[in-house]
Amino acid sequence: MIDTVALDPDRHVPGVRRHPRAADTLHAEWLKFWSVRSTGWSTAMLFVLGAGLTTLVCATSAAWLASGEADESPASFITWGLFFAQITALALGTLIVTSEYGTGMIRATLSATPRRGAVLAAKAVVLTGTLFVAGVVTAFAGYLGGNWFLDREGIGIALTDDGVLRSMLGSGLYLAGLGLFAMAIGLLVRHTAAALSIGLALVFVVGNMAFLLPGTWGEWVAKLLPGNAGSGVATPVPFNPELLAPWTGFAVFTAEVAALLLTGWLVFRHRDA
Amino acid sequence: MIVARGLTKTFGAKVAVDDLSFTVEPGRVTGFLGPNGAGKSTTMRMVVGLDRPTAGSVTVNGHSYASSPAPLREVGALLEARALHPGRTARNHLRWLAASNGIPRTRIDEVLDLVGLDAVADQRVGRFSLGMGQRLGIAVALLGEPPVVVLDEPVNGLDPEGIRWVRTLARELAGQGRTVLVSSHLMSEMALTADHLVVVGRGRMLADCSMAQFIADHAASYVRVRSPRPGDVEALLRGRGLDVDRHGDELQVQGMDAAGIGDLVGRAGLHLHELTLVRSSLEDAFMTLTADSVEYAAHPAAQEAQAVR
Repeated sequence: MIDTVALDPDRHVPGVRRHPRAADTLHAEWLKFWSVRSTGWSTAMLFVLGAGLTTLVCATSAAWLASGEADESPASFITWGLFFAQITALALGTLIVTSEYGTGMIRATLSATPRRGAVLAAKAVVLTGTLFVAGVVTAFAGYLGGNWFLDREGIGIALTDDGVLRSMLGSGLYLAGLGLFAMAIGLLVRHTAAALSIGLALVFVVGNMAFLLPGTWGEWVAKLLPGNAGSGVATPVPFNPELLAPWTGFAVFTAEVAALLLTGWLVFRHRDA
Repeated sequence: MIVARGLTKTFGAKVAVDDLSFTVEPGRVTGFLGPNGAGKSTTMRMVVGLDRPTAGSVTVNGHSYASSPAPLREVGALLEARALHPGRTARNHLRWLAASNGIPRTRIDEVLDLVGLDAVADQRVGRFSLGMGQRLGIAVALLGEPPVVVLDEPVNGLDPEGIRWVRTLARELAGQGRTVLVSSHLMSEMALTADHLVVVGRGRMLADCSMAQFIADHAASYVRVRSPRPGDVEALLRGRGLDVDRHGDELQVQGMDAAGIGDLVGRAGLHLHELTLVRSSLEDAFMTLTADSVEYAAHPAAQEAQAVR
């Protein structure tokens, strides 16, 4: 008679007498996220584009902004690089899902953690946490770099000026939301190139083209599109005066992301891996 | 223990798995056989909760895989398709898996050592050969020291040494009282590894029995007889009611053992040049059983040529 191995899942792992918790799923997603090169590269690109381009545009525009001929506020330029940092946030959000489908990793992930909601929640926390911190750090670095040039022309901006601190935190919030937006598209589409194209097109192409729509309804469509609604919170004074008020816009953006994410989750929950 | 009851999976109009019921018992290696497209991989994917059954159920240790709090510590699975990110190192792949199921980090080095990948643990798996990928997949399966191990085509891409290693490993795991389910296309390998067989064709159950029983049922052994006077020997044996097939000067005899045939022929004063018991192989038995349920059959070239004429 063969001695049958008991079925207690704890028994064969020396020293372990507990069930995995949400923290373990989170830890696993964190390790996964940072153990591929694309994450490091994308995050570095986010910083370089965000902080670097803000500094660069402030350096080249400071004299003009101080001259009195300027028809824009210097405060519009202090988070200017964010426009390009959006690309990397979309890329990270897309890849956190589609890289798993592209490589077959999704099967390993769901074998290890069959509770799909837990997987999705852990991914969302890792992604938004990273993007929020990266967004805030990048915005501050851009402020410090850009403001150094504005200060030299005597048009420096204080952190306590209206909307400046809000735009620093807002950069983190907006990029985090944009990441979730891309992640939801990734869940629905599952292919990296397709999902990324859709995300970029919605934010950069459709978002800007929509302002060409005629009439009041056209104006509202443009205002309510995710990129246009959400980005207002990340700049002290927007270039475009037609945008929604910062927090109103961000609330609309959050609702849109939540709806898309919910759709993605419903599809993901019932799909064969 | 794995228990499937009325397990069914359809993809659109195609029935991949059709009402399968079987039990995979602990303490022995169960071979899972079937032609390409028979539904083996789909069945294994349903065992580990990746595909949802259209009907029926499959449980592991008495409950569904998905309801396990720490599935990697209950069931270790190597599935046929790769489930690796090419940019991640082998060690990091095992690290996140261990973290997800609360498995201590010390176990990572143990399994890397066990499968012989310790030297390349910090290389990206995209550079791994097929065989190295298989070894990593087996390391993943064993990471949680699970009482149930499911291996889909584990010897794919392995060299002869690796194939022997997998065979020994599967037998050891079963010897420790674990439940082991292995699928393979290599019949000769399966014959050496498995104690019990579950055979499917076109999604349906064809056999669920011991290896010996399966071979006995589906490909009978025979005695090969050669003689300088095959015609006389044939007539003699047929006269005694034995089943004789003649292939040139070789006779294939069923219905009596070799000693009996030898005595019979000797008493008749005839000479024998060969008298050999030919045991049928698992492959023969498998071919006989699955002949009608092969999904993607190649036709012999000779037949094709005749058909053209």
